[in-house]
Amino acid sequence: MKFITLFLIAAAFSGNVFAAEEGAAAPGKSVQDLAKTCAACHAADGNGTAAQYPRLAGQYHDYLERAMREYKTGDRQNAIMAGFVKTLSDADMDALARYFSAMPGKLDDLAKHEQGSE
Amino acid sequence: MPRIACRFALLAAFLFAVSAHADDDLKAGKALVYTCGGCHGVTGYKNAYPNYHVPRIAGQNYDYIVAALTEYKKGERAHPTMRAQGEGMSDEDIRNIAAYLSSLKP
Repeated sequence: MKFITLFLIAAAFSGNVFAAEEGAAAPGKSVQDLAKTCAACHAADGNGTAAQYPRLAGQYHDYLERAMREYKTGDRQNAIMAGFVKTLSDADMDALARYFSAMPGKLDDLAKHEQGSE
Repeated sequence: MPRIACRFALLAAFLFAVSAHADDDLKAGKALVYTCGGCHGVTGYKNAYPNYHVPRIAGQNYDYIVAALTEYKKGERAHPTMRAQGEGMSDEDIRNIAAYLSSLKP
């Protein structure tokens, strides 16, 4: 009996924890788990070669976060991305942006590639 | 043997199709990209407001660049400076820019 009471209290408490994290569709999901969804198009290393999807690896993290935010608000329109970001909290987007930004990538600023150099 | 020749022909056709951007003009793209360097060429450069880094675009994928620039041109992406840039680009300009940017390696 005591056990059941404890269980109920625990269940109620965990319910509150979830409520407190409103907006986080997948509480406790690691960034690696979240990134698996992205990998389907952007590749696990963020260097997808399917030309219609942008490379993410090495991109500025605040730009990646901004892009996800714009998909959420509708400032950027893409049916696929809009569906995914809907399930992401602010913390998720920040974590994902930093995760892919930190990967070694093929992206670069234009600084080295201005007129006269390839 | 003819079957092998046929396979080579298919492979050649495939490779040619992959480089179907051959009619894109890298030189013209490079000339146009000069303008982009004003923001995208400055390492660590940030938008004034809201404050986030101007993205790295050298080495980005071809079709994605075409899609992004076309969306700016049509007013479907919000960034005001990029919208203004897109408005002045022809579809051919956009393809040439994409060809040049996607050809760059770090």
